Amino acid sequence: ENISDFSLNITDCIQVVVPEEVFFTVAAAGILENLLILIAVVRNKNLHLPMYFFICSLAISDMLGSLYKTLENIFIILCKMGYLTRHGDFEKKLDDAMDSMFILSLLGSIFSLLAIAADRYITIFYALRYHNIMTLRRALAILAIIWAFCAGSSIAIALFSYEAATVIPFTILFPLMMFFILCLYVHMFLLARSHAKKIASLPSSTVHHRTNMKGAITLTIFLGVFLCCWAPFVLHILLARFCPHNPYCACYMSIFHVNGTLIMCNAIINPMIFAFRSPELRSTFRKMFYCSR
Amino acid sequence: MSALRLMSNRTSQQSLSNSDYTWDYEYYEYGPVSFEGLKAHKYSIVIGFWVGLAVFVIFMFFVLTLLTKTGAPHQDNAELSEKRFRMNSFVADFGRPLESERVFSHQMTEESQSLFHFCINEVDHMNKPRESQKGPSLESNTPFQEVPKSSGIFEEDLHCLTKFNIPNFVNTEQNSSLGEDDLLISEPPIILENKQVMQSSHRILD
Repeated sequence: ENISDFSLNITDCIQVVVPEEVFFTVAAAGILENLLILIAVVRNKNLHLPMYFFICSLAISDMLGSLYKTLENIFIILCKMGYLTRHGDFEKKLDDAMDSMFILSLLGSIFSLLAIAADRYITIFYALRYHNIMTLRRALAILAIIWAFCAGSSIAIALFSYEAATVIPFTILFPLMMFFILCLYVHMFLLARSHAKKIASLPSSTVHHRTNMKGAITLTIFLGVFLCCWAPFVLHILLARFCPHNPYCACYMSIFHVNGTLIMCNAIINPMIFAFRSPELRSTFRKMFYCSR
Repeated sequence: MSALRLMSNRTSQQSLSNSDYTWDYEYYEYGPVSFEGLKAHKYSIVIGFWVGLAVFVIFMFFVLTLLTKTGAPHQDNAELSEKRFRMNSFVADFGRPLESERVFSHQMTEESQSLFHFCINEVDHMNKPRESQKGPSLESNTPFQEVPKSSGIFEEDLHCLTKFNIPNFVNTEQNSSLGEDDLLISEPPIILENKQVMQSSHRILD
């Protein structure tokens, strides 16, 4: 058994390669889907509401993530074909720019999800005052602040990625935001549950128990999808910073491309669980497609 | 991501200069990593991470479903109305219209008054600190002739809310059951235009 252990140990964890066709398909699907949402919201005047603006912001950040991966693939192919050198200064700058685009996408996703959750929270708990609290101008101002902050942070992180001082806040931000979003949604969920119970207590109301399940399922899907798609990559960043030579860490980092594909899958799934569940948006899509025929 | 590669280059290989930076798809080239003497399986972090993530998500799901099961439904009318007063107004679900009109009519009369006052107070509270003209318009928008039609159909909260054109209205037309997830899907808040309001209130009535 010693020999078999030895042979197992000396084989490296080879880089898991995702075929380029898969990359491009997933990225293209993500970009198209999110672009459709943007077009739909812009064209339909009924959708010029804070809630849809936050969904658009999420769509933009998803698009940026997929775009980054596509561009990176294209540049790698160009490199292989010899049009670009590997050691040039221009390529380095380009690479930095693309890295910052990716981090911008990640930060934008997190903050957009936070904005959507906060908007729904205000909708439910401050219903009568919602229109005063969340005016269109305020929503746009919030989005501007979020994106300015994300842009600044992404450039800083891309430039100073070798500093622990940037990696640690970046990775702490992620679980913090997740936890905060979870709290918001759980609070809303509890209130909905108590409301459903009240309705159930009224005579001749036939509420089904499974409706409570639906809320739980929806919440789990929201947060589970985001976690499963982004957490692998965040862990990768942590491990790359702190234990690049540890064999266990190295084996984890060998599945880097799978993690990247997961992030692009998130770009495809997010519209389905946020945007497409709104009937107004769906009817806008139907009109768009039927009119184009 | 090559930035990470740059990161690792600087931390681990101090002797190499910056000109050694290469931009490479084959990013994993850290140099010899010794795989000898591993006690656990080499992919243990990968497996452990995904298992942990799955367990966490399932745990979250069970916590949420447990939350739905705990707590007894309220049988007390007084307790009900008290809870309503305490609650900041909201719309979680409008559910489908409840069938029998007769059952609710007597409930409506005694509770709707108190609820009406509660809602009035809500609106007043909203009017006071702000300069907004939307507050009074909320009240004036609602046609009172909607009330007798709706009172037989809704539960008390909905009665109040339709009276006051609650901005956010969760559309449940596609759901045949009370959807808590509607609050999470969330139709956008009603724009303060009569047309849309009538549309949405017709959805309630259907």
